Amino acid sequence: MPERVILSIGTRKGLFVAEGAKTRKSFALRGPFGTGVAVYATLIDNRGTPRLYASSCNAFFGMKVLRSTDLGKTFKETKSAPAFPKDDGRALANIWSIEPGTAKQDLWCGVEPASLFRSADGGDSWEMVQGISNHEHARKWQPGAGGLCMHTILRDGNRVHLGISTGGHYLSEDGGQTFKASNKGVGAGFSPDPYPEFGQCVHKIAGHKDAPGRLYMQNHGGWGEWDGPGGRRPDIGVLRSDDHGKSWRSIAKGLPSDFGFALSVHPHDADTLYVLPLEPATRTCPGGQPAVWRSEDGGESWRKLSKGLPKKQTFFTVQRDAMDIDELKTPALYFGTTTGQLWMGREGGEEWECLFDSLPPIHCLKVAVV
Amino acid sequence: MSIKVFVPAPLRPYCGGASELGISAPSVRAALDEIERTHPSLYRNVCDETGAVRRHVNLFVNTAHVRDRDGLDTALMPGDVLTILPAVSGG
Repeated sequence: MPERVILSIGTRKGLFVAEGAKTRKSFALRGPFGTGVAVYATLIDNRGTPRLYASSCNAFFGMKVLRSTDLGKTFKETKSAPAFPKDDGRALANIWSIEPGTAKQDLWCGVEPASLFRSADGGDSWEMVQGISNHEHARKWQPGAGGLCMHTILRDGNRVHLGISTGGHYLSEDGGQTFKASNKGVGAGFSPDPYPEFGQCVHKIAGHKDAPGRLYMQNHGGWGEWDGPGGRRPDIGVLRSDDHGKSWRSIAKGLPSDFGFALSVHPHDADTLYVLPLEPATRTCPGGQPAVWRSEDGGESWRKLSKGLPKKQTFFTVQRDAMDIDELKTPALYFGTTTGQLWMGREGGEEWECLFDSLPPIHCLKVAVV
Repeated sequence: MSIKVFVPAPLRPYCGGASELGISAPSVRAALDEIERTHPSLYRNVCDETGAVRRHVNLFVNTAHVRDRDGLDTALMPGDVLTILPAVSGG
């Protein structure tokens, strides 16, 4: 079977799957799966026979994990979803990230309230990771507007990077046994201390497999005009680390806003990254003019990519996991909006077209070539 | 205390498709304990890990919401029907 491009699209009303040829000229849509139930995390697990996973955030009956072994034609619930131990006192509110682990059936799952779970059997059973879930800071983290969520899990050998809103960036160097807050240079606009040890509202962290020491972070920016205790905090929103997340520095200069949620790295070039700046007050596109901004030099300079996108009166939000890039030779970038549009930017975002314009509000999006 | 538990359609896959369960329990709390023992997947849909009834799930004994009686300590009599219903909400 020729290679296909698969999009797994988590929305407020269930999961959709779009499938197209490598030309990406058109996509066939199927779904919704988990009908009527919000999906905040999805994964296309391309190790061996592809599997699609999605969280299903049932407001009535709790969390489920959906799994497909036929490229998203059908989904079934796994035998269980992550759950806190009965004597823990916390109850699962949402699932925010599902990522592949080391072995073929291993999965890692970040949840709300911020905690980490692992599965060794493709999602049928789950175990809480004590080192972060019961970290000495865990009961001091505060929920952001979206809830107290563990949204980013990045693995690099024995290093595990976690993004927590609002908790900050946590790093393990022993395969996930123990974690330390690692937020040097990561600012917080909502605390008197501009650079606390932890408690930052990290929105997204991304890296590149060929440059493991390099990380990019979309942090909660928008504090350039802050005149309260601690003083102004310009440009704390978009950051870069070159030492495995031990320290971070701003790369926001040149962007129209350092606030945003989504961030993606080019699959074949660790120096090329994409952000989607939003106005901090409204979480919508600056001036009603959506644009992705691309840097090809690791954040030293930025270029606006908006050809084909609306030019005015557009006020959607792109959420933290609603942007992804495929791994074809000339990759396309994709983002989904809270107004239910799914956009594809060919040539790494040079020219945009709307693939679907009336989906439910989009929470998350993953793409894979299978 | 032999009672019936009415299971709404979305939850029937978690108890073998049954719309009603016959159980013996002297209170709503004991009924939930029995459901946890005999149908753990169904229980997990009704109560969270802490044992609290999920926020958008309502429990009725016959026609009375348990919150208007004695909550989970509401006593059950032979022939009572404990109804599990998702709350009416939308958005």
